[in-house]
Amino acid sequence: MQPEDVQRALGPRLGTRLSAVEAFPGTAGRVRFLREAALDVFRAVHDDLGFLHLSLVGGVDWVDHREVFYVVWSDDAKQYLLLSTDVPANDAHVESATAVWPSANWHERETWELVDIGFDHHPDLRHLLMPDGYVFHPLLRSFKLHEPEELEVKSRHV
Amino acid sequence: MTSPQVRVTPPPTSEEFELRGELPMAQQPAVPFVEIETLRTREFLPAAKEALSDWIAEEGQAKVLRPVFNWAGRNSLFPLHWGLACCAIEFAAGFGARWDAERFGVVPRSSPRQCDLMIVNGTVTWKVAHKLITLYEQMPEPKWVIAMGNCATGGGPFRTAYSVVPGVDKLVPVDVYIAGCPPRPEAMLDGILRLERLIRERKE
Repeated sequence: MQPEDVQRALGPRLGTRLSAVEAFPGTAGRVRFLREAALDVFRAVHDDLGFLHLSLVGGVDWVDHREVFYVVWSDDAKQYLLLSTDVPANDAHVESATAVWPSANWHERETWELVDIGFDHHPDLRHLLMPDGYVFHPLLRSFKLHEPEELEVKSRHV
Repeated sequence: MTSPQVRVTPPPTSEEFELRGELPMAQQPAVPFVEIETLRTREFLPAAKEALSDWIAEEGQAKVLRPVFNWAGRNSLFPLHWGLACCAIEFAAGFGARWDAERFGVVPRSSPRQCDLMIVNGTVTWKVAHKLITLYEQMPEPKWVIAMGNCATGGGPFRTAYSVVPGVDKLVPVDVYIAGCPPRPEAMLDGILRLERLIRERKE
């Protein structure tokens, strides 16, 4: 499967909400879409293109905006496909992929707690790696390493 | 038949312990010493009870019985059988055939209710902190804590990380710190023996 095939399959359904399908080495391509189209993209990729396995969800803090990316795998094509969308830093949320791939649950919890990207209609969006009540989102660029004593005061929840 | 002569030897003082080296119990018992002939006589138990009662009344309960409890306690330290990080591998090796920590009476137990020693072997994250405190509070008194390795001692290489407790002494009182990353099983055994030395000096 080539990026052109992905473009041909997704283009009619998404229209202008599909920003681009770029070539990406080692994968079937990298689909860039607007975040309003997230659920449609997930459904199309899952149902039409046959990428049944969600391998990874992650987030990147680009300071002026944030990026959510998904890595999906097709057992038929034996290929990965990257999905990625940008969200503004002051309003960082996107539709949850758990409706299409249930395995997105923990990945999105991790993405939320580390990069502070909310996931709408997530069944159980709470801390995964950090204790409840943890106030930081440590993988943001604005997060500074704390002195141990300061971190202790802010992290103590027991 | 005349009443048997019950000879009672007071337990050695802590200075005498030090003179006799690391494992004094093999050479002389700390409990009152009774000759074997007197054990065979019918009047031994009441006489011994009377002698012991007099002795305890004379010396005070704390002074007489505390060394006995200390002796029993330090020779049957039961650590909690858990592992947090790579130090747990050394912990496990310490109880294997080569180092065999069980010869010191150290037997890992899986329930905190049966433990009197918590060996914190690994990086303590904030996520596990309240579980660690729960386990510590579930252990019956008296109880001790050994911070094993640099992570448990002061956070180690992760001291400034966002998820790591900078030293387990922020959460529970620690009696013995063991340096190393990770410490070898010999170092863990040395820490246990140092803890035994602390328990020997215990007064209350």
